[in-house]
Amino acid sequence: MPGLFEGFFARHRKGATLAVLVLVSFVCLMISSRTLVIRPKEIGLSAAGFFQKGFSGFFAWFGDTVGSIGQLQAAREELAAARERLQEMDQATREVLELRRQNEALRQQLDFAQTLAPERIPAEVIARDTDNLFSTITINKGSRQGVKKGMPVVAWQGDIEGLVGKVVLVGPGTSEVLPLYDPQCMVSARVDSTRDEGLVLGEGKDRGTLVMNYVKKIAKNKITYGDLVVTSGLGGLYPKGINVGRIRDITAPTYQTSLVLRVEPIIDFDRLEYLFLIGPEPDNPAPAVGQQAPPAAPVAK
Amino acid sequence: MVVCILLQSTILNRVAIRGVRPDLALIVLIFVSMRRGPMVGQVSGFATGFLEDMMNVSPLGFHSLLRTVIGYVYGLLSGNVFIDPFLMPIVLTVIATILKGILAGIVSAVFGLAASGFITFTGRLWIEVGYNGVIAPFLFALLNLFKMFKQADKEGA
Repeated sequence: MPGLFEGFFARHRKGATLAVLVLVSFVCLMISSRTLVIRPKEIGLSAAGFFQKGFSGFFAWFGDTVGSIGQLQAAREELAAARERLQEMDQATREVLELRRQNEALRQQLDFAQTLAPERIPAEVIARDTDNLFSTITINKGSRQGVKKGMPVVAWQGDIEGLVGKVVLVGPGTSEVLPLYDPQCMVSARVDSTRDEGLVLGEGKDRGTLVMNYVKKIAKNKITYGDLVVTSGLGGLYPKGINVGRIRDITAPTYQTSLVLRVEPIIDFDRLEYLFLIGPEPDNPAPAVGQQAPPAAPVAK
Repeated sequence: MVVCILLQSTILNRVAIRGVRPDLALIVLIFVSMRRGPMVGQVSGFATGFLEDMMNVSPLGFHSLLRTVIGYVYGLLSGNVFIDPFLMPIVLTVIATILKGILAGIVSAVFGLAASGFITFTGRLWIEVGYNGVIAPFLFALLNLFKMFKQADKEGA
């Protein structure tokens, strides 16, 4: 019997090696993804769904491309209007910066206590995912420096702080950060001007766009392009008031009871170098079950 | 291939187009598989894929499965395809990148994985296809040169 096996493997060495390697990969995948799928119908559905999505995506892309030619004229007119608005925004931004400087000066004069701000761990981006299939960011801080799984990550670009994502994997000296634009990343957020709440999630295919769902349709007339979206603090993972992005598009699908907002992230993920990991608030321990949590301290800017 | 994986995660981010980097490890895998056959191709693919899985947030076995299959398939072509300096590297690399995208989509659908790149038939895949295709002839030429140097060393010894 052993001779029979040896003979078989000698004849089919390459095929047998392939089978073993594929089997090892499958077992690893089953264990690490924790989604043991052995039901043939579901596999069939999943596989068919994959191809359906592919075809649908391709034809949608084709349709969009053809349609975009017709939209060019409208885009030109919008561009002129947008430029005008940009000038107004520039002026407003300068005023905000001036107010912020005044605010900081006044705080210093009043000796305002800022000890309630949660601990921040600075980190540097050292690598990104090796493949384009996943979208994690590797940073140079790990459990030895106090990094914990689930920590929110922010960054400064220019004069504005924005949310980057959260820590998903922690090693001794490095950690993996899941960025906002990943489809697995969901953030409870609200429109800053109208206080309408929703859920921001990544689309994956385009790192320059996020989607905000579950905003009530009655808010459509109040929300405008360029409105700031910030974290709402609900869910407890992300502190309240961190900038997420600005609204770029508002649609109200007839088949949904809520709006779909396209949000442009505050952070340009291609330019990320240094990040800050936000720890738990030191003077604000997690409330016991049934106890009302006090409002989170605003993030220092 | 290990060097390529390290390059992909670090320096190549600077030349990324809309966040998409070329997959140098895949091109090297194609080269090795075409030269050395299915056994070396699949084992190299498995080893580099496993290393990638260890370095990333991807589930263990994901990249190793993809690269094992690609290494084996291209290994089967070994000796049957004439590789000219320009066109064939592009064709082989373009097909391998699309194959990787399709396999990744199928594996992610079967195992219920969700990640940004898995939206297979969108811009990201096609950018990678183009990027890999452009780089392939140069990398093939470089690897051929490396092989020539090795041969020269042997002759010199």
